[in-house]
Amino acid sequence: MDSFKVVLEGPAPWGFRLQGGKDFNVPLSISRLTPGGKAAQAGVAVGDWVLSIDGENAGSLTHIEAQNKIRACGERLSLGLSRAQPVQSK
Amino acid sequence: MNQIEPGVQYNYVYDEDEYMIQEEEWDRDLLLDPAWEKQQRKTFTAWCNSHLRKAGTQIENIEEDFRNGLKLMLLLEVISGERLPKPDRGKMRFHKIANVNKALDYIASKGVKLVSIGAEGERCEIVDGNVKMTLGMIWTIILRFAIQDISVEETSAKEGLLLWCQRKTAPYRNVNIQNFHTSWKDGLGLCALIHRHRPDLIDYSKLNKDDPIGNINLAMEIAEKHLDIPKMLDAEDIVNTPKPDERAIMTYVSCFYHAFAGAEQAETAANRICKVLAVNQENERLMEEYERLASELLEWIRRTIPWLENRTPEKTMQAMQKKLEDFRDYRRKHKPPKVQEKCQLEINFNTLQTKLRISNRPAFMPSEGKMVSDIAGAWQRLEQAEKGYEEWLLNEIRRLERLEHLAEKFRQKASTHETWAYGKEQILLQKDYESASLTEVRALLRKHEAFESDLAAHQDRVEQIAAIAQELNELDYHDAVNVNDRCQKICDQWDRLGTLTQKRREALERMEKLLETIDQLHLEFAKRAAPFNNWMEGAMEDLQDMFIVHSIEEIQSLITAHEQFKATLPEADGERQSIMAIQNEVEKVIQSYNIRISSSNPYSTVTMDELRTKWDKVKQLVPIRDQSLQEELARQHANERLRRQFAAQANAIGPWIQNKMEEIARSSIQITGALEDQMNQLKQYEHNIINYKNNIDKLEGDHQLIQEALVFDNKHTNYTMEHIRVGWELLLTTIARTINEVETQILTRDAKGITQEQMNEFRASFNHFDRRKNGLMDHEDFRACLISMGYDLGEAEFARIMTLVDPNGQGTVTFQSFIDFMTRETADTDTAEQVIASFRILASDKPYILAEELRRELPPDQAQYCIKRMPAYSGPGSVPGALDYAAFSSALYGESDL
Repeated sequence: MDSFKVVLEGPAPWGFRLQGGKDFNVPLSISRLTPGGKAAQAGVAVGDWVLSIDGENAGSLTHIEAQNKIRACGERLSLGLSRAQPVQSK
Repeated sequence: MNQIEPGVQYNYVYDEDEYMIQEEEWDRDLLLDPAWEKQQRKTFTAWCNSHLRKAGTQIENIEEDFRNGLKLMLLLEVISGERLPKPDRGKMRFHKIANVNKALDYIASKGVKLVSIGAEGERCEIVDGNVKMTLGMIWTIILRFAIQDISVEETSAKEGLLLWCQRKTAPYRNVNIQNFHTSWKDGLGLCALIHRHRPDLIDYSKLNKDDPIGNINLAMEIAEKHLDIPKMLDAEDIVNTPKPDERAIMTYVSCFYHAFAGAEQAETAANRICKVLAVNQENERLMEEYERLASELLEWIRRTIPWLENRTPEKTMQAMQKKLEDFRDYRRKHKPPKVQEKCQLEINFNTLQTKLRISNRPAFMPSEGKMVSDIAGAWQRLEQAEKGYEEWLLNEIRRLERLEHLAEKFRQKASTHETWAYGKEQILLQKDYESASLTEVRALLRKHEAFESDLAAHQDRVEQIAAIAQELNELDYHDAVNVNDRCQKICDQWDRLGTLTQKRREALERMEKLLETIDQLHLEFAKRAAPFNNWMEGAMEDLQDMFIVHSIEEIQSLITAHEQFKATLPEADGERQSIMAIQNEVEKVIQSYNIRISSSNPYSTVTMDELRTKWDKVKQLVPIRDQSLQEELARQHANERLRRQFAAQANAIGPWIQNKMEEIARSSIQITGALEDQMNQLKQYEHNIINYKNNIDKLEGDHQLIQEALVFDNKHTNYTMEHIRVGWELLLTTIARTINEVETQILTRDAKGITQEQMNEFRASFNHFDRRKNGLMDHEDFRACLISMGYDLGEAEFARIMTLVDPNGQGTVTFQSFIDFMTRETADTDTAEQVIASFRILASDKPYILAEELRRELPPDQAQYCIKRMPAYSGPGSVPGALDYAAFSSALYGESDL
């Protein structure tokens, strides 16, 4: 499974590009990292799948919903990530 | 020479020769001391007379009266007690001389050496009346006959006499006899002598030394009066003469010696006699004593032996004990003294014999029957008898003890046995087995076995009882009659018990056998009835079994089974009948042996009635089943027909669909020709398919029938309705999709401006890398494809691309996705940046946009859409109502930088 959590200390920017979403039929993933950014420092890698945002399951979120959720975490961002592609919920 | 020991008072060294020599001197002188002559004359005369008076004669004148020798011979005869030769009675001188000679010869024959008057001449002197010669001769006689034989302590004659005087006067202090002259002058010597022997005659203490004459006279007086010793001395002469005549003194003193010693001798003799007599008397006494004791003892033995030989037995132990006690008493109290007596007797006998022997008497010979051997013999017999008696007593006691013990034992054993045997006969006569079950009978048999072994164990005891009774008889028990009676009763009863036991055993065994037989039958019945019952139940079940069959074969097999079953019925019936027979058998046995038990079968709950009813039921069910089966068979046939029908159709439809699918697939893969052509073809296909639908419907109809008939399988076709349906639907969707695909391709082509050739190129590439030729590429195919096109991709990039071409993660890349990907690179597409740029223009270069701006620039719907979806802008320079168009835009493309 190798899922893991990262907690990034705010404020934004977090230093990563989010890709995917339910509306795109692709699970949320990290498509790009700002070198030396907070996400990169916390050990996030390109291609990591996002399982949860702030504890909430990210599998059912559209792109914009996920985006909004991440934005809503001001001081601290908690992401649940996995190296293996999660099973998509239809 | 007589040597005198020193310490003796007197020094006496005379010997015969010496004073004879002295006399010779006097003879030579022919002189005699006148005093002495006087004394001698008096004394000797008196002395001779003291002897001659025994012969009835006297002498007056010593020199005259002996001249004829007659009185001399007489004197000698009197003194010696011997007869001299007959004197000559003549008066002639030679007669006288002859007589004197006879006298002197006699004296000489007595061992006296007559030195001075041996010669003839001297004898003549005597005849002639020579005083000196006569006195000398008398003195010789006196010496020889009165003094010579004196023996005192081995001292003889003169010395002996002197010793005697000294001994006898030793206790008198004032008397000291040393000689025969001066020592006698005071007269105390004589008195002492008298007093010594006869204290009753003289009171010595009153005597006085100073009255010698008186003393002498007194002594002579007493001697004459009491001792028969004539006076021979003259007191004045003795006293007045300085040295009295020794011979006269000696003569007179010798008379004393003879008187006392004689008395002593007499006394000694008397003593000896008394001793001897006493010994004799003692011996006689002992002999008498012996005889008496012997008699008594023998008498006692004689009395006792019969008592010891008495063998009359007593009846009781007590009596015997008493006898034993008596015997003990005898041994402890009565016999020991007798033993003592016997011992004493023996001692006495021995003592007596010894005494007799040492006193020189003949041995004692006890009278007849009282001899030592007799006593010993009798004693031995006594002891034998004793031993025998004791033995007998002990044996008797033992015997009685044994008898009593045996009798007691008998009583005990008999009692024990009688107690045991009591009631046993009753028990054995019970008929409790007649209404008992098999287990009960078996239990009774066990009990009986136990009883039998108990009985056997008691056999011993009965035998013992009989043996004891026998022994009591042999030992002559006094109450043997009762014992025998009881013994007999016991034995009789024993025999009866034996018989009854045997009978009971037989009855029990017989009963057991019968019950066993019945039990066996019951068991048999149970063993067979149960399976038969089960079989019937099973049969009933089977016959009523609801069956569901789906094929003719199935129903056929059921029918066959049923036929087979029917075939077994006769056999079953046979079994039924045998089972019934068993039951009948049981009934019969019970009946005929009149056994009082229930005939119910403990092993089986199945009854005959049950069996009967079930059998009937089975018989009933068979034809019913027949019928059902036949009906089913018909039904199955009908179903089969339906199946065939369906199959026929399906077998046609299936392939047709398959065919069409292939056609469509082929069409979509082909490269040559325009998309429009493809489209037309596909449309054609579509049309065909639509027309074909009737067949499907028809099939559906048949399928319904089949399902209504509950037919679930169809081996005539591999196609199920579902298959066909699915296939049909797939066909429909495939054709639609394919058409759609083509449409899309047309759109894409038009949108992206791809020429047909490009399309064909894409197609060719795709087909080339579609290894499996299924219209799809997997990831490896795609990667290979990319590489072939010159893309040098890292993992991450490839992954990203994969997400684009295979957004659903299906692992495949469709032709459409492929084209999209390929054309993306070359097409002029709207990107998120362009959209953001567009929004910025609308937002007048602000990093955010306001709602009113959106409403102003965009159509209402889109504006509302944007307003609704745009997040609030929270960047620098934010104002209320600011919307983040950048986030929104990137989100539209599925990408946002955060």
